[in-house]
Amino acid sequence: MGIRHTFLSATLVVAGALSGTAAFAGEALDQIMSSNTLKVATDPNWAPQSFLNDQNELDGFDVDVAREIASRMGVEIEFVTPSWDVITAGNWNGRWHLSVGSMTPTTARGEVLDFPGVYYYTPASAVVHNDSPYQEIADLNGAKMAAGISTTFELYLQKDLTIDASGVPAFDYQITPGEYRSYETGAVALDDLRLGDGVRLNGVVGSLPAMLKAVENGYPIRVLGDPLFYEPLAIAIDKGDAELSAKLGALIDEMRTDGTLKALSEKWYGVDYTTALN
Amino acid sequence: MLHRDTVVSDIAVHRPKVMAGIFVAAFVLFTLMGLKDTIFGALMAPVIGDPAEAGLFGNAATGLVLAILLTVNIVLIAFLPLRYQIGIVWLQLLVLFLTFFYSFDLKLSFIQTKIWFMITQGLFTTLYISAISIALASGLAIIGAVAKLSSNGFAFAIASFYTSFFRGIPLLMQIYLIYLGMPQLGFVIDAVPAGILALTLCYGAYMTEIFRAGIQSIDKGQWEASRSLGFGFGLTMRRIILPQSMPLIIPPTGNQFIAMLKDSSLVSVIGVWELMFLARTLGNKDFRHMEMLITAAMIYWMLTVCLELIQSRIERHYKSPQH
Repeated sequence: MGIRHTFLSATLVVAGALSGTAAFAGEALDQIMSSNTLKVATDPNWAPQSFLNDQNELDGFDVDVAREIASRMGVEIEFVTPSWDVITAGNWNGRWHLSVGSMTPTTARGEVLDFPGVYYYTPASAVVHNDSPYQEIADLNGAKMAAGISTTFELYLQKDLTIDASGVPAFDYQITPGEYRSYETGAVALDDLRLGDGVRLNGVVGSLPAMLKAVENGYPIRVLGDPLFYEPLAIAIDKGDAELSAKLGALIDEMRTDGTLKALSEKWYGVDYTTALN
Repeated sequence: MLHRDTVVSDIAVHRPKVMAGIFVAAFVLFTLMGLKDTIFGALMAPVIGDPAEAGLFGNAATGLVLAILLTVNIVLIAFLPLRYQIGIVWLQLLVLFLTFFYSFDLKLSFIQTKIWFMITQGLFTTLYISAISIALASGLAIIGAVAKLSSNGFAFAIASFYTSFFRGIPLLMQIYLIYLGMPQLGFVIDAVPAGILALTLCYGAYMTEIFRAGIQSIDKGQWEASRSLGFGFGLTMRRIILPQSMPLIIPPTGNQFIAMLKDSSLVSVIGVWELMFLARTLGNKDFRHMEMLITAAMIYWMLTVCLELIQSRIERHYKSPQH
């Protein structure tokens, strides 16, 4: 879901920094163990990572990964659903201990959150309307393009994307939009694209899994060419608890090595997005 | 009825010029809307042939028929007694409204699978959060009103600062400030109490002014008489002033409750599973946002209609004879 870093969360970060409540070293881990409960924040607005299923329960790739982490720590799991802005603002004060929310580890977020481990990588792709004449990515130069506001996809279109995690392949900026628009979420951009080619937009850049999901649900759009770039997605914890960070990092590595992450990725995406890319 | 007078004139819709104007305007508007490809065009098929090939003629013919129907409809309705006029216009607007939603191609079976959860989880949460908040806000409002009316400088200053601040900033911001700010003071509160606290403080501020106005409206003589009988402040308030100001306070308080019911949707941002939260979330997996938003809108609307009925009953009950 990229960097949804809004003005609000920026304000909240500043407010948090000024108030100067330092996070608690080792405290979160103690809290998890003593209460025997891992509280995980997730924003159920991002199928297929996190959403409410037909039984109206939380479900999805992120939710499964979180459940797996809790079971490996030997504790119960409890989900809370604050909005994405609140999660990325940090200063969680022990309300919840972990975010498994497909978060891109960026420098700005690194100031308030720690990222114990990258658990998968999603490809970013461009989509166009079915009726459009575009055949390859280069055709989109000069077109009316859109993405969710302050996402990595937006930064890509603005040629201002820096991903500072290891294991991410280099990429080129292949599209020079004629006109750029940003939307509250990528889903709204897709709703505009489905109106027809050029009615409001010619193309949208977003995460490939979400785009494929939209196609599956009957949106008249098609994916153009190969992925533009890959973004690493990490679990996040409140700043300052090195013990918890180390423990979770080790768990993620373990889950990658023994194939659990791969199996979950194949369950939800039909593809293995969890290891290195090519 | 704004004001009844005795000047008699023809009602507007029986004047030929007015009706001709409405007819022409409707005809032009409907023609420009190009309705031949809609369900109206399909109904007109015997006259205009295949709608797809009917062109401007098809649009104009459809527009003409609709304009005639509208004009005749208006003239006929005008003949009816007032009550029936109101009823029929309501009904027609409702049908238009539903047709409008129907044209979105909503998937009713999807709504059916979700609506029960929306009611048991969403509506229930919305209602109990609003009810608790309005009860607490009423208590706060009495204290605030008494403080605002007192001659104690501290009490007045605190109360007016409170109403000024909480009426002066957006409710959404209060919710964020309370949810994220309280932990900085060492009180880590959950989303539901934080939401209730924010709604209470915000509506308490508005209702302070309602209560203050209600108390102030009681004649000075009532205070003087009560004092001269030897009643203390508390007793005067409880037995003399508040019972008399209730008729003025309760109706606007009911309005506040209706407003709060809708504003409680803002607490969805901190992750409370109330109606608005579910409306945004439930349709996500299947890309059925519109279905859930419209369903939630209908639930809110039905609820406020019920509350408005209760409200008008309360108002009638408290309507004092001199008004």
